Amino acid sequence: MITRKQSLDLVLQRLGSLALELGKPALLNVDESTHLFGDAAHLDSIGLVTLIADLEQDIFNQFGKRVTLADEKAMSRLTSPFRRVGLLADYIVEVVNAK
Amino acid sequence: MSQAILTGTSRGLGRALALKLLECGWTVHGLARENSDINHPRFHSHAIDITHEPSVQSTIAKIGQSSQGIDLLINNAGSASMNALLLTPGSVAESLMRTNYLGAFYCLQAVGKSMVRQRKGLIINITTVAVPLALAGEAAYVASKAALDALTKVAATELLPHGIKVVGLGLGPIDTRLTRAVSQNKLAEINQRIKRPQGTTLDEATAFISEKINDPQLASGQIYYLGQVT
Repeated sequence: MITRKQSLDLVLQRLGSLALELGKPALLNVDESTHLFGDAAHLDSIGLVTLIADLEQDIFNQFGKRVTLADEKAMSRLTSPFRRVGLLADYIVEVVNAK
Repeated sequence: MSQAILTGTSRGLGRALALKLLECGWTVHGLARENSDINHPRFHSHAIDITHEPSVQSTIAKIGQSSQGIDLLINNAGSASMNALLLTPGSVAESLMRTNYLGAFYCLQAVGKSMVRQRKGLIINITTVAVPLALAGEAAYVASKAALDALTKVAATELLPHGIKVVGLGLGPIDTRLTRAVSQNKLAEINQRIKRPQGTTLDEATAFISEKINDPQLASGQIYYLGQVT
């Protein structure tokens, strides 16, 4: 079980470490409404791939569940769960708790 | 200690390559349908079907979890079928595509994610001189390996920014079960065309692959051939 707050914290923490690694200080000041991918995004495709791969590992380390965040279900949605920080946090709750 | 995942280790080139890597100090995780007969403290056998995506994902996730990370993936598992194009059953073409292309795709994707987390790694796809030579009688096999070569090039472009290199290593016929169905005349003709009239031994093939693994100048996206293909 993962709560919405835990999920959001996970995403924000990971973005914080990526901010330093990718040299994108803007990622240090993000909130639920921040655009991750798509128009006006903070991440390019390389950054997004890194974020997803790292988050899948974080989820396993902290919650013991192996999940795939970028699967057909995520890709076929009208609104991509990777568009904004809040949507990604929602999606993590949905995927982890369905396992 | 360096960790490698190698597919198709139950026999042929995969088995010889596993022994070579062990000799060079690697810890080797061998993926094959049947358990390997290799008995070594640094060899771990995983009996799985690489064309089954969920099995590949869970096996590779477990390996990544139990080790310090994965430094090297060699997509070696492959099958071949020699037949005239117009006499090749569709089911054979499909089966070759599943093993030679899709199996490698699943492994690359699963290991790639682990390597992205480490920000480094090397992925080698074993391919064949039959692609650039466009060998007659091997249409389904050549097409599946050409798909793998295309995957190598795109994967190299996408993964290089993450510190991961992807290359193809193309071999000529080696005396393994894969080439048993090919006539001696045909093998001699191929070996002549690639300027290796004596053919290629398993030792030569594993030495070539080992040399590329250790080459710091390896150019990502490149397909290197043992033999001349132009």
